[in-house]
Amino acid sequence: MELIKTTNFNFMGKRKFFYFFSLLIIIFGIPFMIIRGEKNFGVDFVGGDLINIEFNQKIDVANLRKTIAQENIGSFTVQELGTEGKNYIIRLPQKTSDLVLERLKNNFGENFIIKGKSIISPSMSISLRKKAIKAFLIGLIGILIYLTIRFEFKFAVGAVVALFHDILVVLSILVMTGKQIDGMVIAALLTIIGYSVNDTVVVFDRIRENARKTRTTDYIALFNKSINETLSRTILTGLTTIFVVLCLFFFGGESLHTFSFCLLLGIVFGTYSSIFIASAIVVDWLKRSSVRLKI
Amino acid sequence: MKTQFYIKFGIIIAVIGICFYLFYPPEKKLKKGLDLQGGIHVVLEIEKEKIEEKSISDLTERALEIIRNRVDALGVTEPVIQKEGTNRIIIDLPGVKNPEKAIDIIGKTALLEFKLVIDDENLYKQALEGNVPEGYELLYLKEKDERGIYRETQPLLLKSQPELTGKYIVDAYVGYDRTGFPDVNLVLDKEGAKIFEEVTEKNIGKRLAIVLDGVIKSAPQIRERIPEGKAVITGKFTMDEARELAIVLRSGALPAKLNIIYQEVIGPSLGKESVQKGFKASLYGAIIVLIFMIFYYLYFGLLADFALTLNILILLGIVAGIKGVLTLPGIAGIALTCGMAVDANILIFERIREELKAGKSPKASVDAGFHRAWAAIIDSNITTLITGLVLFIFGEGVIKGFGLTLSIGIIANLFTAVFVTKVIVDWIIINRKIERLRI
Repeated sequence: MELIKTTNFNFMGKRKFFYFFSLLIIIFGIPFMIIRGEKNFGVDFVGGDLINIEFNQKIDVANLRKTIAQENIGSFTVQELGTEGKNYIIRLPQKTSDLVLERLKNNFGENFIIKGKSIISPSMSISLRKKAIKAFLIGLIGILIYLTIRFEFKFAVGAVVALFHDILVVLSILVMTGKQIDGMVIAALLTIIGYSVNDTVVVFDRIRENARKTRTTDYIALFNKSINETLSRTILTGLTTIFVVLCLFFFGGESLHTFSFCLLLGIVFGTYSSIFIASAIVVDWLKRSSVRLKI
Repeated sequence: MKTQFYIKFGIIIAVIGICFYLFYPPEKKLKKGLDLQGGIHVVLEIEKEKIEEKSISDLTERALEIIRNRVDALGVTEPVIQKEGTNRIIIDLPGVKNPEKAIDIIGKTALLEFKLVIDDENLYKQALEGNVPEGYELLYLKEKDERGIYRETQPLLLKSQPELTGKYIVDAYVGYDRTGFPDVNLVLDKEGAKIFEEVTEKNIGKRLAIVLDGVIKSAPQIRERIPEGKAVITGKFTMDEARELAIVLRSGALPAKLNIIYQEVIGPSLGKESVQKGFKASLYGAIIVLIFMIFYYLYFGLLADFALTLNILILLGIVAGIKGVLTLPGIAGIALTCGMAVDANILIFERIREELKAGKSPKASVDAGFHRAWAAIIDSNITTLITGLVLFIFGEGVIKGFGLTLSIGIIANLFTAVFVTKVIVDWIIINRKIERLRI
């Protein structure tokens, strides 16, 4: 079977449009991030308590909220898991979970079990945040160095800008859809970086091969040819990975929900950015540069 | 030519065998992370204020001893207790029955007491039968046996009221007696020295038990009146034993607070649910990929499927072999490896198709396909490996598990997708003298 026959799309000709498109998503995301403030982040990164409880029968969410509110603990959120109305994740301010659980016991008796509980202090959340940022920076620097060695500095920069783009776009969409950024999201984002750079490198590799063969200075044509030649692989690998991620999303349970949602976005935008961000930036740079491409 | 193939096939079969041996049966050989089997994860921090940087590490050391002592008392099977940085202690207790109580016990302040041992035969017998007299208690002395494993040996009858507590201890350190054996020196503050002098004066010949959080650590005999608060505990200590006792003594004088800065309780039901769902989702994902590859590449798809299955086998084998921990994101990582592992094969197969279209012979196309795809495979896998390793090295808890499986998956992938498939394709083409290639 062959899904994608030989193609000849003018990808690079439309790059300005897609620069604009990506910018638009990010620009829309930023106000959301600012408005939501701390709520953007899971308890891992800002501290707080999180309890996961399951009732043995369906309960009224409004009633649950009212019960918790009686404790006067400040702002909290209740999120329903699944569709049966039994399982809830409650996010509470620092060190209030014991009070709330006590209150729930008084109100609902022994009709629920505590499936999970996390208490994260501010000092821990600060170090988790630092660790996450450190992981990103080291990962990106590692990629930058490796690609500079294997290709050229321009390509490395193109790839890393594309990675920043992927992270920003995925974060923007997460925030707009009301999801929280927690440790699992960070793991997903780093995986996306891995996937996206993988995809970008395959395109770059073909550009390198064709550049060596033809020695052309018509970069637009060179890039278009290379992207078209690798298009069928790009789509196939994207598809197989998306199959898996969709399975994780639909069958993997609550714990993997946001994680797989993130990955889904990441694969789509990671593939997109290899062409319209990474390659496009390198093309624009090469066109403005007086130095010929040498790889 | 033939022997070369035999060697290559031999390598492949050996790898399959070793990996299978390493992880089978998976229930036993694959260690499940906390998120999958339920349990508690606690991070303690030593409060830093007013403590000099230099002494923090030592403080953490002492706190570790206290925590170990408490966790031992909980009877958890595979606890992980480790120091992180200079002032943090990470504790993982899988499968704890009563998490709330466990956390209470871990988080409370250390209690070091000196209690008199009662030698009265009658009272002791009575106590052993279960009638501990009022004002006394029966505690166990924990001793290391020859193999270095702690065992509860004989119980001792103690006076409940402690003679002295850890708050009077200024320092405890290891020294040497005249015969060159290690001993433990104890220094008490002024007030403690006065109490200690009285106690020792009145109880010469008796034993004074050193009790940490309700467990007797040592019960030396009082030989003489000890003035000035400088005591020496002798015994046939090994260096390690002496050092340990000194840490126990110092732990009682821990001039810092242990704060729980992170605690996570995962109920057993949540863990079970995660395993089932995570496993099911991964299995479905893998099956779809397997079917898709056959559908799309026919026989070559079958080959890619073989490589993929082998990839997962190697991945599980290595994880089990290096005693890595399988977490829920780790399972997701394996699933993701399935999706991404076929990438190398897709790269090769697409390249073979291109070469065929360009009019090359099957053999030449296959060779060119593998050869030309190689650079792309190496570069793309190494960049992914960089992020996988970063997750493994800098990640916390469950994310570490994810980075681990992702990294191993990529390494296994290089072996299976490139080496294994190439050997098989070459073998088929040479032996069957294939004229037309359907891919």
